[in-house]
Amino acid sequence: MPTLTIDNQTVTVPDGTNVLEAAQQLGIVIPHFCYHEALGAVGSCRLCAMKFEQGPVKGIEMACMVQAQDGMVVSTVDAEAQELRAAVIEWLMLNHPHDCPVCDEGGECQLQDMTIAGGHGIRRYRGKKRTWINQDLGPFIEQEMNRCIQCYRCVRTYRDYCGGDDFGVMGSRNRVFFGRFKEGKLESPFSGNLADVCPTGVFTDKTCRFRSRSWDLQEAASICPHCSLGCSVIPGARYRELQRVRSGINRQTNGFFICDRGRFGYGHVNHPERPRTPKLQGADAAWPEALQLARRRLTDIAAKVGPEAIALLGSPRASLESLALLHDWAKQLGGARFCGDPQPGRDRAARQLTALLGSRARSLEDVRRSDCLLLVGSDPLNEAPLLGLAVRQAARRGARVIVIDPRPVELPCNFQRLSTGPEELPQRLEHLVSTTEPTDDLSTLRTLLHQAERPILCGGGDLLGEVGIRQLAAAADHFGTGLFVTLGGPNSYGAALLSGDGPDADQLCEEMLAGKIRALVCLENDPLADGPQRMARALGKLEFLLILDHAPNRLSRQADVFLPTTTVAEGSGTLVNNEGRMLSFSTVFNPGIPLGISSEGGHPPRSFSPTTAGGEPRPAWAVLAQLRGENQSPEMIRRKLEGRDSRFAGLSLLDPDGEGQRVRGGGHPAGSHDQSFPHPAPEGSLPLLVVEQLFGSEQLASLSPALDAVQPDPQVLLHPETAAARGLKEGDTIALHTELETFSLQLKLNAAMTPGLLLATRLRDTPLELFAPGSPTPCLVGKGGGDA
Amino acid sequence: MNLYQDIKATAQAYWITLRNMFRKPVTIQYPEQKRVPFERYRARIVLTRDPDGGERCVACYLCSAACPVDCISMQAAEAEDGRRYATWFRINFTRCIFCGMCTEACPTRAIQMTADYEICRRDPLTLVYEKEDLLIDGPGKEPDYNFYRHAGIGVVNPRGQGEEERPPADVRSLLP
Ligand code: SF4
Ligand code: SF4
Ligand code: SF4
Ligand code: SF4
Ligand code: FES
Repeated sequence: MPTLTIDNQTVTVPDGTNVLEAAQQLGIVIPHFCYHEALGAVGSCRLCAMKFEQGPVKGIEMACMVQAQDGMVVSTVDAEAQELRAAVIEWLMLNHPHDCPVCDEGGECQLQDMTIAGGHGIRRYRGKKRTWINQDLGPFIEQEMNRCIQCYRCVRTYRDYCGGDDFGVMGSRNRVFFGRFKEGKLESPFSGNLADVCPTGVFTDKTCRFRSRSWDLQEAASICPHCSLGCSVIPGARYRELQRVRSGINRQTNGFFICDRGRFGYGHVNHPERPRTPKLQGADAAWPEALQLARRRLTDIAAKVGPEAIALLGSPRASLESLALLHDWAKQLGGARFCGDPQPGRDRAARQLTALLGSRARSLEDVRRSDCLLLVGSDPLNEAPLLGLAVRQAARRGARVIVIDPRPVELPCNFQRLSTGPEELPQRLEHLVSTTEPTDDLSTLRTLLHQAERPILCGGGDLLGEVGIRQLAAAADHFGTGLFVTLGGPNSYGAALLSGDGPDADQLCEEMLAGKIRALVCLENDPLADGPQRMARALGKLEFLLILDHAPNRLSRQADVFLPTTTVAEGSGTLVNNEGRMLSFSTVFNPGIPLGISSEGGHPPRSFSPTTAGGEPRPAWAVLAQLRGENQSPEMIRRKLEGRDSRFAGLSLLDPDGEGQRVRGGGHPAGSHDQSFPHPAPEGSLPLLVVEQLFGSEQLASLSPALDAVQPDPQVLLHPETAAARGLKEGDTIALHTELETFSLQLKLNAAMTPGLLLATRLRDTPLELFAPGSPTPCLVGKGGGDA
Repeated sequence: MNLYQDIKATAQAYWITLRNMFRKPVTIQYPEQKRVPFERYRARIVLTRDPDGGERCVACYLCSAACPVDCISMQAAEAEDGRRYATWFRINFTRCIFCGMCTEACPTRAIQMTADYEICRRDPLTLVYEKEDLLIDGPGKEPDYNFYRHAGIGVVNPRGQGEEERPPADVRSLLP
């Protein structure tokens, strides 16, 4: 722990800290470009010069390249150092174009700030400036190469940190160019981070090109709602439109970066078809009327048939506050049925995880620091992209990565794959733990796990399911490792904690079909898309259906009462991520039809009204409180939940800018209920496994127009051997007959997947949406066939 | 004793009145008669065009940020040729205090103040000017300046062919 003096202030820093970081700890800002906490120091911009007056190093040095050592006396205000910095920034500005007014970085441009801070005010260079031809880098990132100052942050992010290989630095001398070898879309799922890390306007967010200046944006700390990791994000809105999302900083979860789904999936908030008024059987209505009707119908049913005739169905994308109110409402009604997740498979997996995670819980930061990672049934880049990025950081530090999965999993690092059918995953885990067969292909893995110091078992909730998670936890116990399992949605864990051993959606369906449940309340879920397959039939038996949602919902017209709610960006609340970390988010802006839509591109209306057009959606917790006839605030809900349930202690003290806090104590596995008999698979059928894809599967992101360009085409994957045995070849249109549906898809061959399996992506708005992700369905394959 | 003083003061007052009776009056008979202000007088704001006839404003939001009373608002967009322009641009003259900060902030010389001081209406909404009301046909002050000729982003001249630019660098060259 060296102690050094910077500008007459003394500071003690951990070993390995550089002088620039030490100065930052004292609150002294030294101009810099190439240093970045996540990327480290490379000393390429030459801007962080400081005078080392005493100690082991003497003279002017780059602060980021000198390790802090005992006895150093450093001056940042030394005249000589200042002069050098002013000269360096003047050099960096020599070729800088005169285009700040049309540059989207303006207002949050590190180059502008550092130029002023470095003391360069007036241009003296009168020569000609270097120019470049830009590349079209696809739908997400805009390039304006003239503005580059060669700090290399982009390549260090894209290649080193994120593991992309289609982008790099080219050329020589003062012609170094940062881009792709050939024009085209950036392939990395983390390409959006270029806009965040580039300190100048070379790389900017194309989806909000020329929309706003940073100072006009309403921003607040929020949480990404697009997967279970709960990355910290900072959405920015203007004129009632969510215009961009940039990465927030949470060192325990995402660190400094986010994935492209989280960054460009924000369009659902501005969706033109978003329901914005309460509806009674499809007809617009006013709030008081709709609330009153819903309340009356529900009390009637509770009085007439009993409270068990009401089912309250939550959702993994609802906030903990609204789920807690819903859960509590079930009790208040005298024992209504509560379930936190419409998708039974995911629900049961999540509940199993809450029951077993305990002290085995690891964060993404732990994954980044792990030295041996085993991924079972987990495809990080498609299910929880930042896990893929964390795995890469571990691999860069020398960790061994092993993947057991039926899919052709890809990772941005080297890894070893053990191909396994989806149904054999729990068995493989059992074999891994049992020491009876020392010489199978798992024996090296066993040794690795035993030898590693900080091993972590990562899993995917979809493929593992309830049984697989139990096996994974047993394996974690056996090897003494940590556990990191990704779940279905941003609040799956919270919903599972509240659901406890209550019924799952399958059971609710059964009771609905049996006429025991007469009324259903759906909180921010689309039961037709995400519920069990017999939901459609079960809904027909209901007397009363109430839906609260903010996304275009298939049932918004059929529901007896539909109440519009706000999105994550439009309200505050808490989400519990897959490691049981409570993360709070704050309000970015208030709902309303975006000005760009309501004024049709022209100037804003020249008439005034006391209300905001389309400003009717209310936070789900507020709607639920009103349905219960109470006056509540999020703070009250949090405090009550804390008081009621000690697992959530500390909830009311969470800071949206903080790192969040793990829940204390676990949940319950779902009660066992007799699964319907496994149908004997028909002769000659193959299991069809429908899985999540980076783009196109997650409901909210799939509503974002910015992602339309990268939406994959529906197709089905097959191992070449399996295809050859059935006389199928690449590009064939094949008909798939399942119990649920018959449809046809293009065939693609992939040698990296497990043979004997059909693999398809769960794409929204296609027949594939109806399949539960991760559980195989028997499927008969025929050639050709009609359209889906 | 003070009598002398009193008489002097009274006479002086009459003298001043008398003297001014023969002066040319400074009052003008507005509105029949109109004053011509100085060239740099700060009144009604206009948006000008560059010497080539294009809209000068690039919707950079700097004037709206500089305005101390927040009376300028706009929305930027990108045209086919890459030009950044304002889809709408609004100045609320009921709020404007004619301080001139916006014109000082403008990097393209688009927003300029004119000497037209007659902005007074009964209906305040008619003082909310839209882009159509603001945009004039000429360049106003600094008639030769066209921002895009210097910006290097290739809107009015191909990239790398502006006055202060070298031709685009060849990435694949390894020459020293
Ligand atoms: S493109 Fe941006 S991040 Fe990359 S070297 Fe240039 S200025 Fe740095
Ligand atoms: S990894 Fe998940 S939570 Fe993080 S940004 Fe991507 S989608 Fe959002
Ligand atoms: S003159 Fe002053 S008050 Fe009027 S628009 Fe310009 S900056 Fe705003
Ligand atoms: S400062 Fe000038 S160029 Fe920028 S928006 Fe205002 S008028 Fe347009
Ligand atoms: S930050 Fe030290 S040289 Fe760039």
